[in-house]
Amino acid sequence: MSGPALRIRGLRKAFPKVVAVAGVDLEVARGEVFGLLGPNGAGKTTTLEIIEGLTTADSGEIEILGLTWEKAGQEIRSRIGVQLQSTSLFNKITPREALDLYGSYYPKCRTSKDLLELVQLEDKADAYHITLSGGQQQRLALALALVNDPEMVFLDEPTTGLDPQARRSLWDVVRRMKGEGRTVVLTTHYMDEAEALCDRLSIMDHGQVIATGTPASLIADMELPSVVELTFEGAAPDPAAFAARLGHAVEPRADLWEIPTPDPKALLPRLLEAAEAAAVPFQQVHIRRATLEDVFLHRTGRSLRE
Amino acid sequence: MIWRQFLMEWRLYSRDRVAMFWTFAFPVVLLLGFGTIFRDGGGPKLSVVRVQSPVPTPRDEALDQALKDLHLQVQSLPKAEAEARWSRGETAAQLEPDGAGYRLRLNSYLMAQAGATAGLVNQAWLVAQARLSGSPEPQRIPAQVESPGHKRSTNYASFLLPGLLGLNLVSMGLFSVGMVNVSYREKGKFRRLAVTPLPKWIFLLGQVLHRLTVTIVQAAILLLVGRLVFGIQNQGSFLDLLLIMTLGTGCFMAFGFALSGFAETSEGYAAISNLVFFPLMMLSGVYFTLDSAPAWLQHLVAGMPLAPFIRALRAVFNDGAGLAGHGVGLVIVLAWGLAAFALAVRRFRWA
Repeated sequence: MSGPALRIRGLRKAFPKVVAVAGVDLEVARGEVFGLLGPNGAGKTTTLEIIEGLTTADSGEIEILGLTWEKAGQEIRSRIGVQLQSTSLFNKITPREALDLYGSYYPKCRTSKDLLELVQLEDKADAYHITLSGGQQQRLALALALVNDPEMVFLDEPTTGLDPQARRSLWDVVRRMKGEGRTVVLTTHYMDEAEALCDRLSIMDHGQVIATGTPASLIADMELPSVVELTFEGAAPDPAAFAARLGHAVEPRADLWEIPTPDPKALLPRLLEAAEAAAVPFQQVHIRRATLEDVFLHRTGRSLRE
Repeated sequence: MIWRQFLMEWRLYSRDRVAMFWTFAFPVVLLLGFGTIFRDGGGPKLSVVRVQSPVPTPRDEALDQALKDLHLQVQSLPKAEAEARWSRGETAAQLEPDGAGYRLRLNSYLMAQAGATAGLVNQAWLVAQARLSGSPEPQRIPAQVESPGHKRSTNYASFLLPGLLGLNLVSMGLFSVGMVNVSYREKGKFRRLAVTPLPKWIFLLGQVLHRLTVTIVQAAILLLVGRLVFGIQNQGSFLDLLLIMTLGTGCFMAFGFALSGFAETSEGYAAISNLVFFPLMMLSGVYFTLDSAPAWLQHLVAGMPLAPFIRALRAVFNDGAGLAGHGVGLVIVLAWGLAAFALAVRRFRWA
């Protein structure tokens, strides 16, 4: 058992109207939680579906657990677990039945009892799928991804549309997967999720990987690892005159100014002085460490959520 | 694996109470309806509308008597009323006085009935003329309604039943099964299965087996109702009947799954299934004969699966015949079934 869990070279996929994946290289080590972070339409899901064998690539090489789809499709299927972006099951199947049924497709499987306990669905074990809440359906989908005790798990936006509490409990399940030694590849457009869960991640935009590394190294590699924010009541005024006076770039957002700096401690006194002199009507000052959001913004000039 | 797939299909199916009710109730409702309409004896009666002569003559009376003797249902109406009925299109054949003689008007939309009626009316006229002139009545060649297997059944509904079973099965295979399959695919219900090692043929075979057993249960209910309400008996062996039903159901269910592989959307499927259903029905030779069709078409039709299936079903059910003589036909059904299943597996897509 050596070599990476996943190795991808030069992956490309074009649809009639858009190039979804434009030359992606990735390498995921065994036992790692790896994230694909990017806005909607960045090509994360298409990349994942090609890896899972749901879509065929136009070109490129994929090796999963040392196997290729051409030579060992059935073996790959039996050794990976997949959570699709939306898992549409039959309306009147129960979680217990679904887990037993899907388990029967694999040479080895875990019991529905264990899996229900793992995702805390014991009290809904015999309820029809259609009566489950979004979070419960998502947890069942996660349990289904684990039904064959897979070495490698793929999760496509596992927490999209969930409330904060449901997200946290899903994060716990993902951490437990890592604790059990599984390799996890997940996509997300939440930067906090990527920071909280991923050992390493790639940021994707327009079908390409624009940066890869640990969350900390990606942030540290930014030239401006901190941001001073001035918040306003209502819309932020035009910062041009103030920026000239301060002698430092100021980036306006909807209701705040962002002033990226490598050294907030040195900037802050000058900033406050200038703000007072120019009578800038700000409400509060925040200093925050840069996040993956800022890395994305810095690299693409766009916000993740746009 | 296949067993579990099959059981799960049944379990899910049994939870959809509305669909299940109609699957089993609809054919029964049809049988009850037709059976009741044609309950008495030899099927639909031939009838003729007789336009009353202003002043009935002995000749009129002789003709009317002869019509009744030939078991025609005569509806005697005044001219105006008969005309109104004719123009509503409800009359198949109308007999009216015309100058010195009579005239028959036959409805071009109801030719099957009108043609047979015309024959009987003409016979009646010959009989009436003979009676009036005092000469011996013309001899008639006796005709008798019989099933091809020479077993006369007392009840028209019992002739309907095998046709009903067969038709129901074909429409279930071609319309409901294929349509459900396409709409599930459209809704992405099979996508999750695509990332499991479940082979397509097992998934499809599980579905076919489920539908097969649904149909057998359906047929059993129909037979039971037919027997209790109308006293319809299966004249042949139930084992033969089961074998024929199994082959036929398997064949037409596989047809539905194969067709569903060619449609992207439910709308597309509706078009494709009609495209197959109508030639299958029209060219089967079961519902009307193809004697006047070109020879090449008749050869082609001989290889189609619906006719041998219905023929075997009728032979066993109505005539109490065995399977002898139906071997080739049943092999044709089996071959179509296997080919359709292979095509279904080949064309099947999870998403």
